[in-house]
Amino acid sequence: MNTKRLILISMLALLGSLVLSACSGGRTVSNNWHGLAADAERAYLSNGSFVYAIDVKTGNQIWQYPAAADSKLLFYAAPVLTADGQLLIGSAGTNHPFISLDPATGKEKWAESFTKSKAAWLASPLVFDNTSYAPNTDGFLYILDMNGKESAAPIELGGALWSAPTTDGKSLYVTSLDHHVHIIDPANSAANKSIDLGGAAPSSPVIADGGAYVGSFASTVEFIASDGGHKVVAKAENWIWGSPVLDGATLYYADLKGNIVSFDVASGKQNWNAAQKDDAVVASLLVAGDQIYVATESGNFIALDREGKIVWEKTVGGSLYTAPVVSGDSILVAPYQAEFALAAYDKDGKQAWTFTPAK
Amino acid sequence: MWDTIIINPMTNVLLWIYDALGHGPHMFGLAIILLTILIRVITWPLNAAQVKGAQAMQELQNDKEWQDIQKKYAKDKEKLAQEQMRVYKEKGINPFASCLPTLIQFPVIIGLYQSVTRALSATPFDMLKLARTMYSFQNAQNIIPLNSKFLWMDLGRPESIQVLGFALPTLAIIVALTTYIQSKLTMPTTSNPNDQSAQMSGMMSIYMPLLLGWFALNFASGIAVYFITSNLLGIVQYAATGRANWSSLLPGGSGKKSSVKK
Repeated sequence: MNTKRLILISMLALLGSLVLSACSGGRTVSNNWHGLAADAERAYLSNGSFVYAIDVKTGNQIWQYPAAADSKLLFYAAPVLTADGQLLIGSAGTNHPFISLDPATGKEKWAESFTKSKAAWLASPLVFDNTSYAPNTDGFLYILDMNGKESAAPIELGGALWSAPTTDGKSLYVTSLDHHVHIIDPANSAANKSIDLGGAAPSSPVIADGGAYVGSFASTVEFIASDGGHKVVAKAENWIWGSPVLDGATLYYADLKGNIVSFDVASGKQNWNAAQKDDAVVASLLVAGDQIYVATESGNFIALDREGKIVWEKTVGGSLYTAPVVSGDSILVAPYQAEFALAAYDKDGKQAWTFTPAK
Repeated sequence: MWDTIIINPMTNVLLWIYDALGHGPHMFGLAIILLTILIRVITWPLNAAQVKGAQAMQELQNDKEWQDIQKKYAKDKEKLAQEQMRVYKEKGINPFASCLPTLIQFPVIIGLYQSVTRALSATPFDMLKLARTMYSFQNAQNIIPLNSKFLWMDLGRPESIQVLGFALPTLAIIVALTTYIQSKLTMPTTSNPNDQSAQMSGMMSIYMPLLLGWFALNFASGIAVYFITSNLLGIVQYAATGRANWSSLLPGGSGKKSSVKK
């Protein structure tokens, strides 16, 4: 092999390797798990290039948006259904419009998408009092009316915002990767308090009496009072990724070490820990009826009873990062990198259907 | 395998430096620069071998015996190759000495690129991957997410500066410029206009700046910071040998002709 050929091969190797490895280059989002939402009739799955509406009774596709893949559009956030019949979602692609779709047809509803954000949308918006509060990875909370127009100046919170705000009816609670949870007064569109959690907070707080509970990479669950007071109520063995779930006086949360904890908020004591050894739980838990549903990273879908005993366990495949969702009598799970993108189970663990997007 | 040997250690060193610097604004850019210097120090013997090999090849191009066999066996490629190998052997020159170190450095370049992009995880999935990459001694909860701001740039995004309404890709231009300077300085000079090696080097000095400039233009600016630092260190290292061909940077400047000492 002569020198010339060697140099050419070297250059091709450099070019090829860099191009192949450039999938996550830039701050353009190229890979993430699915977003999932549902009403009584349809499931809405954001699955990268498309948002799908799927009939929850049959698992058949009703529509997809956009009609043909657009390399500049990607969808990963859970779509949000509004009371006035809109389905809101933002793109995480190199183009990042925030759009409104008709849930029945998948057609765009606004004359123009909202395009002022500087970065990708990974979080769902919160619709409250006819206003959409949309957190963006550029660190701003955008405030839009129901026609997609800015109704107030965006609030700069700092750090990427990956999760939907929650509200107690008076204040908004917004978590940020900058380690803070921000309490916002919607009346004056400003952050009143910012509380340092000691670690990034990738998921939404859960509202409780007088405040909210939030989990974080500090491996703690903190109670954030509406006046900004806060205290650690529970410590975990590893990062808490999904939102805690409050059901009466019981708080459920899980961590990346596979601990699934039931916690009594009144006594401040742990009820039980149904640990799944070294099977990380990233997805938020789902409490529905008399069961707690757990989706694990290794692709196991587990139903626990209220005592923490396993009722059934199914191997779905792929990795389960997306929080399961209830639709009528069905529990929907959206595995990542599996044979199918969505599956429906009944409460006894019987699989009703699976949905695989057409290629 | 690739992750275990290259990406994970490199990412952890990068994060460790970032943490040691206080993990504040601008520190990730500084961490990339320091890691680049560290890599340059570790691969110094390789670079030195490359420089030495390039110099030997450069000097050979002007050797009378070498030029004579080029002319004599111009039409007999097989005989020419045999004679070239004989001259290499006699003069103790390894023709691949200037190329092999470059090849060996490719995994380092690619590894650093992937480490930078992994560290600046843009999605939950990327961050989960980063969390799995981090060794237990890392101060993970404090340093995640990384502050990607460096000077005027977001290291996770391609860079540009607004000038009179136009987005000027400053870093891409600097990457192209420093790559051009580095390749020109190390380019063999020859008095033989038909020398294929010199022609190839001439092509490389145009092609590589464009290629790396294109990467800097389109990908995370963190990698452009690496390219610029690496290029500047390469220029300094070559200049330190006293053989840098500065006149070749000028238009039409071919530099002085070197000759093999007998």
